[in-house]
Amino acid sequence: MQHKNPVWGKWVVAALAAGALGVVFVNMLIDNMPKGDLQKIEGYVAWQKESVEVVESLPLQDGGRIKPFSTYAGFKMLQLHGARSMKVLGKGGEKYKIKPTEWLMDTLFRPELAVNLPTFRVDNSQVLEAISIETKGRRDRYSYAEIKPGIQKLIELAQSYEPIEKKQRDPIQQQTIDLAYNIRNYESLLGYFSFARRGMELRGTGSEAAADKRADLSSVMTAAPQLMAEVRAANTEKREVEGKLQDLLQQVLEAANYSKFGLFMLPPKNASDGDWLSAGNTIMAVMTMESKDPEAAIIDIKALETAVRSVTVSEQEFRKHFAEFKDSVEERADSRGELKPISMEVSYFKRDYFLNAIVLFFLGTLCALAMWGIGSGKSAKIFSWATLGFTVIGAAYCVIAIVVRCLIMDRPPVGNLYDTIIFIGATGVIFSLLVEWMNRQRFALGLAPILGLALIILARRYEVGDAGDHLDPLVAVLDSNFWLATHVITITLGYSAGLLAAMLSCGYVLMRGLNLDGGNKDLRRSLSKAVYGCICLTVFLSLVGTVLGGIWANYSWGRFWGWDPKENGALMIVLWTLAILHARIGGIIKEWGLHLASIFTACIVAFSWWHVNFLGVGLHNYGFTAGKGAIWVFYAAMIIFILFGAVAVIVEYYDKQAKRTAKEKTVEGLEA
Amino acid sequence: MEIDKQSPAKPRSVPSIVYDFLSGFQVATVTFLLLLILTWLATLEQIDSGLYPTLNKYFSWKSPWLVPEINGKKVPIILPGGYYVSALLLLNMILGGIIRIRKGWRHAGNLISHFGIVFMLLGGGVAHHFSERGNMAIFEGEASNVAEDYHEYVVEVAESKEGGTGKIHVIRGRFLEGLTAGNPRILCFSELPLSLEISGYQGNCQPESELINAPRNRELVVDGYYLRELESNVETERNIAGCYARIVKVDGSKSDPFILWGGQYHPFTAKVDGRNFTIDMRKRLWPMPFEVKLDKFTADFHPGTSLPAKFISDVTRVENGREAEFRIQMNEPMRYEGYTFFQASYGPSGAKPGENMYSVFEIVRNPADNWPEYSLYVVAFGMLVTFLTKLGGHLGAASRKRNYAA
Repeated sequence: MQHKNPVWGKWVVAALAAGALGVVFVNMLIDNMPKGDLQKIEGYVAWQKESVEVVESLPLQDGGRIKPFSTYAGFKMLQLHGARSMKVLGKGGEKYKIKPTEWLMDTLFRPELAVNLPTFRVDNSQVLEAISIETKGRRDRYSYAEIKPGIQKLIELAQSYEPIEKKQRDPIQQQTIDLAYNIRNYESLLGYFSFARRGMELRGTGSEAAADKRADLSSVMTAAPQLMAEVRAANTEKREVEGKLQDLLQQVLEAANYSKFGLFMLPPKNASDGDWLSAGNTIMAVMTMESKDPEAAIIDIKALETAVRSVTVSEQEFRKHFAEFKDSVEERADSRGELKPISMEVSYFKRDYFLNAIVLFFLGTLCALAMWGIGSGKSAKIFSWATLGFTVIGAAYCVIAIVVRCLIMDRPPVGNLYDTIIFIGATGVIFSLLVEWMNRQRFALGLAPILGLALIILARRYEVGDAGDHLDPLVAVLDSNFWLATHVITITLGYSAGLLAAMLSCGYVLMRGLNLDGGNKDLRRSLSKAVYGCICLTVFLSLVGTVLGGIWANYSWGRFWGWDPKENGALMIVLWTLAILHARIGGIIKEWGLHLASIFTACIVAFSWWHVNFLGVGLHNYGFTAGKGAIWVFYAAMIIFILFGAVAVIVEYYDKQAKRTAKEKTVEGLEA
Repeated sequence: MEIDKQSPAKPRSVPSIVYDFLSGFQVATVTFLLLLILTWLATLEQIDSGLYPTLNKYFSWKSPWLVPEINGKKVPIILPGGYYVSALLLLNMILGGIIRIRKGWRHAGNLISHFGIVFMLLGGGVAHHFSERGNMAIFEGEASNVAEDYHEYVVEVAESKEGGTGKIHVIRGRFLEGLTAGNPRILCFSELPLSLEISGYQGNCQPESELINAPRNRELVVDGYYLRELESNVETERNIAGCYARIVKVDGSKSDPFILWGGQYHPFTAKVDGRNFTIDMRKRLWPMPFEVKLDKFTADFHPGTSLPAKFISDVTRVENGREAEFRIQMNEPMRYEGYTFFQASYGPSGAKPGENMYSVFEIVRNPADNWPEYSLYVVAFGMLVTFLTKLGGHLGAASRKRNYAA
């Protein structure tokens, strides 16, 4: 006898799943939103859109590549602020949303306003309590001006914690060190253009009535040959350098030191020189007579001085002068062949493809839950089409983003851990849709947006936690497009197929264990076939990928197999999936066994993909610890599914036994 | 008429039962699971114990069984050694995956894949037993024709003659490793008037003055020094071996004991029958049939970072007076006459422009060098055939079902 379709059960599960998703989503939003009241900043007005457009595409060198100002600003803001935007109350109580380029423009060109922006994210207020700063919530954001009174103490504390080995530090100690570094980092940006704002003070040129005169640093640089000749003469004649000159040179040195780090935005003259220069490097190169083209260097510094000072005149003036400076930089970058992907990268971050994908996958998930809840009929069909629509468009966003990243990086899509997450997210969704295309059960269809949503949220969380630019170039040994396109892609697709198999099995266990399918054997058989197919695909991809990795290692290091944890992880996936297939063919496991084993595949994939990175050994060790707790939660969730399935198997067995006994009794009764 | 009684099933012979067992899916599944567990445990254990000792423990033929150790604590289970599990898998694969497997077009893909995996496992075995690895460090402008082994310490004995050194006689590491304290052995050289009695071999040790640090385990003290045993390094290539030795003359008389240590700068010298000999302990050197000269080394970093972009060694290979130029860099080794040269390292670290650099090559001699690659083609092809056959069957069945329903 077939069980009745328990519609209420489906809705309960759908509501629970929606609730869980809601919790994740809201948690993510809350985590990224500032706490408490918005910070009020007297006199703050937003930059005009045209100004932002001029500045955002200024090319500069960072992390071993040329990138736009906006990318640099985005990751710097993520590192200090923990998000890519902030809200403040500005002039007249108006609410402003400040994005990375505007935030960095404030820091560089309007430091008097920037110091009041809530730039620093502090995860535990004890860090600030230790330096006697008045705190807000346990986790909140603070401005430089708020932390400033305790900076000296913060640095001292950080210095006292640094000798402690990283593994031994408690979270407060680590956060103190991180905050101290962030403050120093920020100070170097705040003071970057101080040479342009203040100029050099010519001490002793004033009188009682008038202050000392000031000179542009670019003018001082023009006089560098004469100044340095005077210094050399003094050294030769073994006399002291004249006091005023000494004072001036000291000011130049300090100004250059402030603008030595951070923005490397001046392309070198020689094509063979790879390193771009910061303003400070350029100033020092001219002053020490080491510059290969002092005239061009002075023009650059002069242009920066003009642009920075024009901020106080009008924004239009600033825009005009900054555009002139940018044109000159772009011309040189173009002649070096380094300008090409800049506009593409600006647009990539502006369009925020993955945020769009999250929204679409979220809508797809809601439709999928409704589709499953309704079960059959016209409404279910409408929801299934809606699910498909949202999911396909979400997947398209992911694919476009990945392709654009490839064009920017000039390499295949997967080269670091962040790349793997978005790639697995996109391919997992596509694999799900392919499974749906083959079995038409609306099961894999509903799973697709859930998988996409979970993985793209994971990618964003990882990006915020890591705060590193994942478009940066790779180390020498990984820099092989052939192997990145073959071994890495194949292995990553193997992860994707393995995770999909596990997720399908989770659904199967839930569905059969709670009898949500009303005993629909066709659906069960179809799902089992899909899982079996996914396991086969995982074996194929993981085995080929693993051996390709071995061949790459043989080319690079002279050994096919080095027992590196990452290699071992891939081998474990191969061995586990081979064991499943052989056990299934040999009749050692049946339908339930296949699904429970398939769920465990997710644990092995998670170990290989994420966990080995925490072990701290091997050539694939990325040296990060973010998400260490989350991985145990994931293992626990999978084990709960397996245990639930095991209990369901036992219940089903006794249920069948009871029915058989009842049937036998009925037959005996009839015979009697 | 007598009715034929159904004859009972013939009792199966023992070889047939054994054959069925060894070629069965049960053995395949269990060996896969055992290898999975061994690989997982070895991955965790190498964090504390280091890679080389862990591999020896888990996958060497000398290790038929093992007790895992995680975070320095023993896990109370006994597992079979990986070498023997792999051997069993190989046997199972040959018997079940090649001989017993159902033949026919539908199973052709599986058969091909199994062939490929058998070939791969054989390749692994050949590499395990017959490959050699070493390294060669050369300064710019200099040349070398010997590679140094990463792990094996040997004892070298040579006669010092006017104008150079005579033939070098080598005692290989495998003859030294078992010669622990209280277990001396005399090792003879047929061409020399002396033999060596070796004892107290230690894989990682250092000479210690008994005045500074008195011996705790009744170690032999020689001229006020003894060999203090050290814990093995996680990177075992950093271990320095040592032992005690005595010269045994033809008449059976023995010299006083002396220390041989891998880290010593100068060899021990002795006079026997009026001839001078040097006795030294060092990592094994293997000569190569050609010489390699480092012309130039270049280390490139991504601009403005310390992120390595390229390491390039321009070398000249010299053989019988013939010269050939070659460039070795990451992912592009030099393969020649069974040897492969890989760019492994360089130095000195933090060298300034113009400073003389050296390059370190990893040198591998592996008879099964390309076997994994060939087997990959076979396996991938076989699996692809299987996968497409199954997919085609599935899609065909689904289509028939839909047509039927329609």
